[in-house]
Amino acid sequence: MMNIKRVISTIEKNYILSNLKKGERIDGRDLWEYRDWTVKSDVIASAEGSAEVTLGKTKVITGLKYDVGTPFPDLPGEGVCTFMAELLPLASPLFERGPPNEQSIELARVVDRGIRHADCVQTKKLCIKENEAVYILFVDIYVINYSGNLIDAGGVSALTTLLSSHIPEGKWVDGKVEWTGKYLTGETIVNELPMVVTYGKIGDIIFLDPSLPEELVCEGKISISVTEDKITSIQKSGYATFSIEEIEMLSKKSMEIGNRVKKELNIEQYRTK
Amino acid sequence: MPLIIKDEYPEKLFREDGKRLDGRDKHELRPIKMEVGVLENADGSAYIEWGNNKIYAAVYGPREVHPHHLAKPDRGILRVFYRMATFSVFDRKRPAPGRREKEISMVITDCLEPVLFLELYPGTSFEVYINVMDADGGTRCACTTVAALALADAGIPMRSLVTSVAMGKIDGEIITDLSGIEDKAGEADLPCAMTWFNEELSLLQFDGSMDLKEFSECLTLAKDALTKIHEIQLETLKKKYIEIQEEHKGGEKEK
Amino acid sequence: MEHEKDESIEETITDNNETEEIDEFDEEETSRELVVPGEVLTEDTKNFLPGRGSIFNKDRTKIMSLNIGLKQINKNYINVIPLRGFYTPRPGDKIIALVTDKNPVKYRCDINAKDEGILKPKNTNTIKRGKPRGFRGGAPDNYDNSTEKYDIGDILIVKVLSADRLNKPELTTVGKYLGKRRDGLVISIDPPKIPRVIGRSGSMIKMLKNLTKCNIFVTQNGRIWLKGEDIAHERLLIDAVRKIEKEAHTVGLTDRMSEYIENEKKKRGIN
Repeated sequence: MMNIKRVISTIEKNYILSNLKKGERIDGRDLWEYRDWTVKSDVIASAEGSAEVTLGKTKVITGLKYDVGTPFPDLPGEGVCTFMAELLPLASPLFERGPPNEQSIELARVVDRGIRHADCVQTKKLCIKENEAVYILFVDIYVINYSGNLIDAGGVSALTTLLSSHIPEGKWVDGKVEWTGKYLTGETIVNELPMVVTYGKIGDIIFLDPSLPEELVCEGKISISVTEDKITSIQKSGYATFSIEEIEMLSKKSMEIGNRVKKELNIEQYRTK
Repeated sequence: MPLIIKDEYPEKLFREDGKRLDGRDKHELRPIKMEVGVLENADGSAYIEWGNNKIYAAVYGPREVHPHHLAKPDRGILRVFYRMATFSVFDRKRPAPGRREKEISMVITDCLEPVLFLELYPGTSFEVYINVMDADGGTRCACTTVAALALADAGIPMRSLVTSVAMGKIDGEIITDLSGIEDKAGEADLPCAMTWFNEELSLLQFDGSMDLKEFSECLTLAKDALTKIHEIQLETLKKKYIEIQEEHKGGEKEK
Repeated sequence: MEHEKDESIEETITDNNETEEIDEFDEEETSRELVVPGEVLTEDTKNFLPGRGSIFNKDRTKIMSLNIGLKQINKNYINVIPLRGFYTPRPGDKIIALVTDKNPVKYRCDINAKDEGILKPKNTNTIKRGKPRGFRGGAPDNYDNSTEKYDIGDILIVKVLSADRLNKPELTTVGKYLGKRRDGLVISIDPPKIPRVIGRSGSMIKMLKNLTKCNIFVTQNGRIWLKGEDIAHERLLIDAVRKIEKEAHTVGLTDRMSEYIENEKKKRGIN
């Protein structure tokens, strides 16, 4: 398609919509098909956990660093896991340099919420000494190439990063944290594996995994995070509206799709022991 | 609070067998892998893996200058934005751009400018975005090297490429291509870059302690290293096209 | 006046693109030798002069390449035909513009160049000698002079009226085959590869059009408008164009492309 510009041409919008009405997506997929995934873990030597994920041509690289700090007063025995996302200008001329904007904040928060409510990161295991010292995990998502659907790619990369992590284990000795010589791994830190599934909507038509042109012309999106059998978070964006039947249909579909993709990618294989 | 494992370095930076800690000889380069055209949304792009350095560079331009007041009426401007990912270093780096990043951005801008014809593009800007995903010594040199490739990939006319390497001194010996540990624990650090159309240096910084003889030796050895790395850059640029030509060799003339 | 289903779009292809510049990639003088910025093309500066994409060194003892491209020797000029590059507007170029903004005095258009293009209303209507065309006896009082009103998001085929280093390029939609496109789609390729898609005397584009049964309009700023009988044909054409883009620097491309398209048609079950 034309180089990405802020203004999308009317004929492109019409082209996508008229073909969607015939059940055709411009890249030949059907409405509920993902583009190709690739997942690699442990790609950054300096990080305690990392993953590179591509979904179609969208590429994200996520890394994990840890810090040791005092816990929140209301959760004295729990560590903290915080997410950040940056849309790098090299990923698209649409991304300007500068502090995080709405789109990058939304990406970070949607991935965060999908993981937070799924009993994924075991924050109680991230405690070194109650009230004194806990782990603070920083999971930072960098978008390297933007070609639609950053959320699903970001979600899988964040999950893979946590699963494959390797964090020095500390113990509390005489008021200080000392290294035990061992490492905390995905085995300890990660329990459930939530998957986030994003759909676009144009007119009456809903489709999975919007590619870039579809995302630029779509009227709304909805991202649903699921585990095996629970919905853990939802985010709807854009000015389109969804009927209750559509939402119920999508929730059910998300569980099927989430479980299927999890198995196809075999995310479990990245867990460090 | 401090991290659980400290960033500590051994006292000796040479092993018993005379090799450096990562097994290299004094003037051996680390493994370098480069690729161009890796990011389709940018006008030009390149990627480099140099030791554990992993760096993406992308070029946009020529294009309008934002903010407008920076535009020059008689020539184009070159802007380089060097940024490191938070997880690219041992101690997590804060996401916002810091002073070091701004300084390095400026140094790389000055280093690349001599090869461009900015006076041909008045009122426009060329932007180079360099993102370090993993850092491991000699990072600004790897960035310069990959940025030059990205500019060539964007089809911007250049007098020549620019190549860069970090020379240094550890345990009293001049060495080529500092690794992360050698950078932090060594006695001197000399990042430099050469523009090939006039074979002169366009980037030169020095931190540490060397006498004049060592310094002169260092510069001579730098040229050797730069020549080798330049070869890799040239091969990278051509590789993509030559592979396709090989695939479809007709009965045509090969000049 | 709108002229969309006017003079068959078929003519647009052959007529428009045959008069385009020659396909440098296919020229005899173009070697298949790949050169890169800074590479020495020759040290024989007595017999050769730098042409396109090349330059003397400081003491004029060598000629060096400025781009990644193919070395070409034309009489005593050494040229480099670039494989990568950006579009620079020249008067007379036919290009595809996207309207990004409009106000009472002009339309601002994205033309895939460093500057945006400016389209003034006076360059959009079909007024001849001050009288609106087609109104015998004069126009009615409520006649609106700017007959072609465009909106943000419109795709226009325009001609470049003027372009220089200091001012934004000026465009016009007055002319044969120019104006707004109401359907089809537009793809972008690397501008230096455009001549390859047209081919020598339009050979490549004629072949593409006939075999994929699509209407195609190839323009100088790297943008190609196309419309086929269905999405399957359009996809095939787009894949073919991408292949040309990738292999522009090789020999025997036109024959290979027609073979490719025939094979793909069989594979994809279309005719």
